[in-house]
Amino acid sequence: MMIREGLSNRILLWAITLVGLIVIYAPPLYLLAVSFNPALQPGLPSLSDLSVQWYLALPKETALMAALQQSALIATVTAFLATGMALLAALAYFELRAQRTAWFLAVILPMFVPGVIQGLALSAVFTRTGIKASSLTVIGGHLLWAMPFAFIVILTSFAAVRRSYLVAASDLGATRWRQFVDITLPLIRPGLVSAFIFSFLLSLNEFTRAFYLAGRQNTLPVVLFGKMNSGASPVIYALSGAIFMVSVACVAFIAIRSVVAKATPGTGQERRS
Amino acid sequence: MTRPRLPISSMLMTPPLLAILALGLAPLAIVVIWSFWSWDPLTYWIKPDLSLAGYAGILEAGRWTVIVSTLVKAFATAFLCLLIAYPTAYAIHFLAGRRLSILLLALITIPFFTSYLIRSFSWRLVLGRTGVINTLLLDLGITQEPLDWLLFSNFAVVVGLIASYLPFATFPLLLSMRRVDPTLLAAAQDLGAGFWKCLTTVLLPLTLSGIFAGFLFVFVMVVGSSTEVQMLGGAGASIVSVMINDVMRVANYPLAFAISTIVLAVIFGLVLIGNRLFGLASLFEDRSP
Repeated sequence: MMIREGLSNRILLWAITLVGLIVIYAPPLYLLAVSFNPALQPGLPSLSDLSVQWYLALPKETALMAALQQSALIATVTAFLATGMALLAALAYFELRAQRTAWFLAVILPMFVPGVIQGLALSAVFTRTGIKASSLTVIGGHLLWAMPFAFIVILTSFAAVRRSYLVAASDLGATRWRQFVDITLPLIRPGLVSAFIFSFLLSLNEFTRAFYLAGRQNTLPVVLFGKMNSGASPVIYALSGAIFMVSVACVAFIAIRSVVAKATPGTGQERRS
Repeated sequence: MTRPRLPISSMLMTPPLLAILALGLAPLAIVVIWSFWSWDPLTYWIKPDLSLAGYAGILEAGRWTVIVSTLVKAFATAFLCLLIAYPTAYAIHFLAGRRLSILLLALITIPFFTSYLIRSFSWRLVLGRTGVINTLLLDLGITQEPLDWLLFSNFAVVVGLIASYLPFATFPLLLSMRRVDPTLLAAAQDLGAGFWKCLTTVLLPLTLSGIFAGFLFVFVMVVGSSTEVQMLGGAGASIVSVMINDVMRVANYPLAFAISTIVLAVIFGLVLIGNRLFGLASLFEDRSP
């Protein structure tokens, strides 16, 4: 590109990048490989005896399956609520002028509240107001955790909505509602889908808040945490591996879709020169 | 725009604002208020009061050392993350072609949405006595005995923290690099600046907001983390979040919330200072029309 780094510097830059990726990905990928090993002791399976036996054993683990069901339910509801709320928050953001930054911070700040503190404090609020711990209380905790991420995703997707489109529609007599339905909504739909999937995954994988807020039926990460600390079994590797694969596949889906959208002209994705 | 803006914006704001107030602000208010209540160690009962016993409790039983060690871990992790994330962001933005940069972008996005619990747990398989690294070291004859300090140690915790929160540093750096006008770099090179000169005198100053934001995000996430210590820390290992959890075993809300209040003050203070100095909000705005 523009800058001449020199070969050695370029190698250095790529090497450090690679180190970062290895630190992030090597351990979970190793765990994934281990989960296909039929042996009880963790280790890399040889290619000849790859086995999905631990995955096939998963449905028999009733405690884990009940937790998985609970987590999936909570994550779905959280994703709907977080996406809807974040959309409203993003629309409000563009309506605001002077208080924009304040609104941005108000929506984003919950992201920085440590999970332990939020979970504990929220459970104190619920106890005081007589609300029993249930899937609803977990959804309450997860909503505030997922909303900032959904908000940022939707906010960036608004780049596709150019002011001139809305002005043109307004000149042609479209009401604010019509402008929203016919112009804004179709343009930010990819952002909404991404926000939904991201919120779903954040809730599905959230552990600390659920730990304090879950009722009688714990969520999957809470149950997994208990099992990991009471002697890991290959079944735990399999379930961890499965959840990891699903999460990666979801993000990959969003990435591929955005590439396809950018490759097709006329989708309104603004490209910066 | 000729139509009145205020009613629409307040209508739009109401539902998310209510959620933030009920689920965010109300709990934080409880945290601050209960931190001044008093706690009876005999009955585990708390009652309204205006007492500083909770805050005094922080100075007992070496709890403040946990706070200090948390801050040290957060500082070290954030610094190490920047060292890795800056070249990564540079490679994605300046070196990689279009396809590769999208792939790398996806790779640093994925960790946000995968389980921190599972990713921390997987380090046990790598760092344990019979883990990958020890097996490798023994096979190569570098060590005679498996290294014990690899797992359940501060080393393991910091490695786990870097693995968990590295993308929090990469993203703001990348956003700040996108805002740099490439002609400035080209001009510097035309005037004879080498890569390092160009990096230190042009790019680093221009990406200062990203550097600060990246540092801040990792720092704040580490201060609030618990899973990494619970999965990878040694027997006595603690971090603020774990300590709060331990205190809550005897339902000592005032002490737990006194610690929380201090943690929140540090976190919000840093975020607000960062926003004042560098305009964190603007990092996400550069693509808006």
